[in-house]
Amino acid sequence: MANELEIRNLHARIVDGEAILKGVNLVVPKGQIHAVMGPNGAGKSTLGKVIAGDPGYEVTQGDILVDGESILELGPDERARKGLFLAFQYPVEVPGVSNANFLRLALQAKRGEEVSVQEFYAKLQKALETLEWDESILTRYLNDGFSGGEKKRNEIMHMMVLEPIYAILDETDSGLDIDALKLVAKGVNAMRGPNFGALLITHYQRILNYIVPDAVHVMIDGRIVTSGGPELAMKLEEQGYDWVKELALAN
Amino acid sequence: MELTTALSRDLVLGLSQSLGEPEWLQNQRLAAWETFVKLPYPTTRTEEWKYTDISEVPFESLALERPTGRKGAIPEAVQARIAQADLAGYAVFVGSDLVHVELPEAYRAQGVIFTGLHEVLKERPELVRENLFKTVNWNDLVGPQARRPENSKIPALNAALFTHGVFLYVPKGVEFSKPIGVFKYLEGGHLSASRTLIVGDVNSQAVYIEEYISPTQVAPSVNTSATEIVLKQGAKVRHAHIQLLGQGFYHFHRQRALLERDAALNDLVVNMGASLSRAEVQSEMLGPGSASEMLGLYFTTGTQHVDHYTLQHHVADHAYSDVLYKGAAKDQSRTVYAGLIKVEQGAQKTDAYQTNRNLLLSEDARADSVPQLEIGANDVKCSHGSSTAPVAPEELFYLMSRGLPRHMAQQILVKGHMADVLTRIPIEPLRQYIESIIEEKVRV
Ligand SMILES: Nc1ncnc2c1ncn2[C@@H]1O[C@H](COP(=O)(O)OP(=O)(O)OP(=O)(O)O)[C@@H](O)[C@H]1O
Ligand SMILES: [Mg+2]
Repeated sequence: MANELEIRNLHARIVDGEAILKGVNLVVPKGQIHAVMGPNGAGKSTLGKVIAGDPGYEVTQGDILVDGESILELGPDERARKGLFLAFQYPVEVPGVSNANFLRLALQAKRGEEVSVQEFYAKLQKALETLEWDESILTRYLNDGFSGGEKKRNEIMHMMVLEPIYAILDETDSGLDIDALKLVAKGVNAMRGPNFGALLITHYQRILNYIVPDAVHVMIDGRIVTSGGPELAMKLEEQGYDWVKELALAN
Repeated sequence: MELTTALSRDLVLGLSQSLGEPEWLQNQRLAAWETFVKLPYPTTRTEEWKYTDISEVPFESLALERPTGRKGAIPEAVQARIAQADLAGYAVFVGSDLVHVELPEAYRAQGVIFTGLHEVLKERPELVRENLFKTVNWNDLVGPQARRPENSKIPALNAALFTHGVFLYVPKGVEFSKPIGVFKYLEGGHLSASRTLIVGDVNSQAVYIEEYISPTQVAPSVNTSATEIVLKQGAKVRHAHIQLLGQGFYHFHRQRALLERDAALNDLVVNMGASLSRAEVQSEMLGPGSASEMLGLYFTTGTQHVDHYTLQHHVADHAYSDVLYKGAAKDQSRTVYAGLIKVEQGAQKTDAYQTNRNLLLSEDARADSVPQLEIGANDVKCSHGSSTAPVAPEELFYLMSRGLPRHMAQQILVKGHMADVLTRIPIEPLRQYIESIIEEKVRV
């Protein structure tokens, strides 16, 4: 059995709309963290959402495989239960359910069985400790009135409690102050290990100082056009995307 | 509709006699009957009934559900509610029979009266006479409704034929904060008619919860209820009408509260059951400083239809009213809300708000909302707003992407939609109960 998240020649479009992903090829082996960078509008968030099963998009070609098994036919909830997790670029505010209650429901749904209050709170405590965060965030309604940074940090807390096998973090570093950025990195690094793989979508080389990626991919206009090591992120930071765009055109 | 067979003037007379009612009440019933016979039924051409078609409702072909003298046996569904509700006292009706009523001695010693209307009629007839039909009768229309007398048709039917009722009297200065519960268990298959009369004397305080329960599926049945709330100076009442009748029921509720100086009503309507139901809730701010909070929650599934009408009638100056009705509709169900803020000429410094918001869980569900203002004074603060929107797909996706199956994600969104009403229900067991009903309804 393949121990990886594989995106194979993935084409996807907005339902009844234009094509956004135009043949993405990408493999994230379990145990590794890969960064995806690229200019605004390249299709990075779309890639994350299509992997997570957003019904607003349809896959027209290609496949997504988790440990060798296609997940295209699965709904977003079933994909989560297979071990996928998407930290949203824009987490949704949901009044009426507390952050902790929601998370417990999600954990139970994922496991398919009751999770004791003790076990649940032990996990929460651990996540809060790593993220150096106050308990008061638990009783507030899910994301309701959270600041931009709090929302991002909360996504990482959810990830830590739900313990996915493959996580996609969509610009979790955007809008964070330097201390919050370090904490988020600490959270991701705490997950790091042989049973965890991640795709880190980012615009900034900065976060890669704290979460050192195994590979960096550059996405332009719905395709991965070049890949490399951490040094690729440095080069992008210095030179911008023009040279990659030229590369894309040449292909 | 079948032709009239079950109802007649003789039935009204016979009913009144068999209940041992005094002459004045008999005459009132007959007057109501004359009105009922004279008036046409509202149709979809009647402004207030535009979205609700009652032409198929068997008002006149079902047998009237009369008292049969049952005592003692409380249905299991009601027992479960009583166990959960943390009540001060309660009454249980099965059909038209008051099978059980309980009020702690401490309350009775203070002069609180809580029992069947006909029981009070025997002991304190003057209290009933003074207040019955004072707020809901066959001639009580206010505002634009008054131009369309067919709006009195169903209340006239209720006044002529009500078979049972509840009376709550809270004496001057007596306050209690634990709820009194009234459970009406209906087996279905009949025309049922009941009344509630709540009188809060000067500076009194009480909490009253009324619940309609039945088997989940019944033969065609009609239920009409009329609730009269009289609040003397400084009286405060928290009132809830919870309707969870089964499929097959047509339910019609009219409620009207009269608020004297500094009186306060906190009202809640929860309309979740029945095939078709309509709740009309009206508050009359008759004294300065009076305040009426009117909350509504409804959630329909399958082919259910619910209809709500609210009236905030500001007669006195310096009064406050706030309507917040929130609903959700699933499958092919339909919801209707219409509300009016009517501010009379002298009612300066009125503070009146009205909001209705609807969430649609499927493409075939529909919600109609008609907020209205009629303002005759110039120094007032009034606002109204309404909205109807489908569940946001990105919200559903966010919740599902964390592993929640669709029905649970929807549940959370419905509860979230209703959160600002739910958080305004301070009676914890009641709020939990309503939340559990919402959860159950999303699941099926
Ligand atoms: N649901 C949608 N409706 C309309 N356009 C969409 C939708 N989803 C994506 N797009 C378009 O597809 C393109 C890719 O969007 P996407 O959000 O994936 O970009 P991105 O690489 O994440 O950009 P950014 O760096 O700004 O977050 C953009 O032009 C965007 O406007
Ligand atoms: Mg993006």
